[in-house]
Amino acid sequence: MSEVPDNLSYTKDHEWMLIDDDGKVRVGITDYAQDALSDVVFMELPEIGSKFSEGDVMAVAESVKAASDIYAPVSGEIVEVNDKLEESPELINESPYEFGWMVVMISDNKLKNTLDSESYRKLID
Amino acid sequence: MSLRRTPLSKQHIELGAKMVDFAGWEMPIQYSSIITEHNAVRKAAGIFDVSHMGQIFVRGPDAVKFLSYITTWNMERQKDGDCRYCHILNENGHIIDDTILYTINANEYLLVPNASKISEIRDWLLNNSNDFDVTIEDLSDTYFCLALQGPEAPRLLGQHLNTSVNSFQLKTLNEVIVSGTGYTGELGCEIIGPLDQIEFHWEALVDMGAIPIGLGARDTLRLEKGYLLSGQDFKGMETTLETNYAWVIDWDHEFIGREALISQKQTKYPKLSGILLEDRGVLRPGCSVYYNNNKISELTSGSLSPTLRKGIGLSYIDLAIGSKITIVVRGKHLNGRVVRTPFL
Repeated sequence: MSEVPDNLSYTKDHEWMLIDDDGKVRVGITDYAQDALSDVVFMELPEIGSKFSEGDVMAVAESVKAASDIYAPVSGEIVEVNDKLEESPELINESPYEFGWMVVMISDNKLKNTLDSESYRKLID
Repeated sequence: MSLRRTPLSKQHIELGAKMVDFAGWEMPIQYSSIITEHNAVRKAAGIFDVSHMGQIFVRGPDAVKFLSYITTWNMERQKDGDCRYCHILNENGHIIDDTILYTINANEYLLVPNASKISEIRDWLLNNSNDFDVTIEDLSDTYFCLALQGPEAPRLLGQHLNTSVNSFQLKTLNEVIVSGTGYTGELGCEIIGPLDQIEFHWEALVDMGAIPIGLGARDTLRLEKGYLLSGQDFKGMETTLETNYAWVIDWDHEFIGREALISQKQTKYPKLSGILLEDRGVLRPGCSVYYNNNKISELTSGSLSPTLRKGIGLSYIDLAIGSKITIVVRGKHLNGRVVRTPFL
């Protein structure tokens, strides 16, 4: 069974979001997604300062078998990226909700198409 | 059409395998993870169900002459119990398939064609056998093949069957053939026999600690060693010389495709070469290769080497070892160079 923490928001594309008090959005992929991808061996992350609209491809996670696009879950600007993933992309598999986070965004719109943990659990059931 | 299953389907699924379509067979691509499985074979021992591979027996007084004519190797040079890797070519020198040829005895040989090539090879053998006193029997549907590979494999084989095999030698034990062969570059063996025995061998070896390995790691293991993948590194139009496997040719005998290879030998032609990515990234089959800003080829194979933690691939190019090239990965030119295979 995939882990789905209750304190996070989710997208249909298997990304999670943690919304900070100051409105910043921390983004990663879910336990279900990392399991489906299997060993992530390379992460291509966006540069700090780049801007994306919701649904844009903002990163790519490569496993041995395939490359998978990671979509911006909200529109906004990248203000932090997880540099550790360059050396240790396996953190995405080992710790998808903590050490395997990918980026922090400042969103210029309200979260719309997000799922709560219960809805996301139903999606992957 | 529904996919064919090996008798171990139930075991694979119980072990948590992700099953995929491979050449019409439902096969395990991975059980735990490709990297973990890859490392298990390099450091301990893995077991592969490769029952989709073919088993074609050639028997009769002319078997040695016939197989020398059919393959790039002169089988007169083989002794009972020898295994030999060779290519089967058409008149143009193009590889139909590669196989290991097992000399069980001077009257009985076994070929192990790739799953997608079994019927083509069987028909090719039948259509070219008119002048030879041989019988050709395709037992692919009733035979299994398990590969036990890794530094710990000889110990497990000893524990399991109280036997050992040397590299590229075979033994027959009861109804099974145990050969010192494989597709990983590690010590180990392959066990081939009638299907009803597969569970006995699989379960015993898994119980002794052999780690089940899927086709995903089978691909990274073979690519690190520069071994060819049928249908990918050659798919009907490539010659043995182009694949850079001239060592499988014995020129001093008549065989189908020889004339074409002799003509090609006088010319310049691209050879399958190793590509090592110097930038971070993962190579994929089909990635374009550039030299001096000109596209020169595409990768036939590409992946990430779990051992080197670098992108590796194969491509037909005519450049010296060490040449700097770029490879286009998802629209970006990444730096790489031409290297000798095996990669390790």
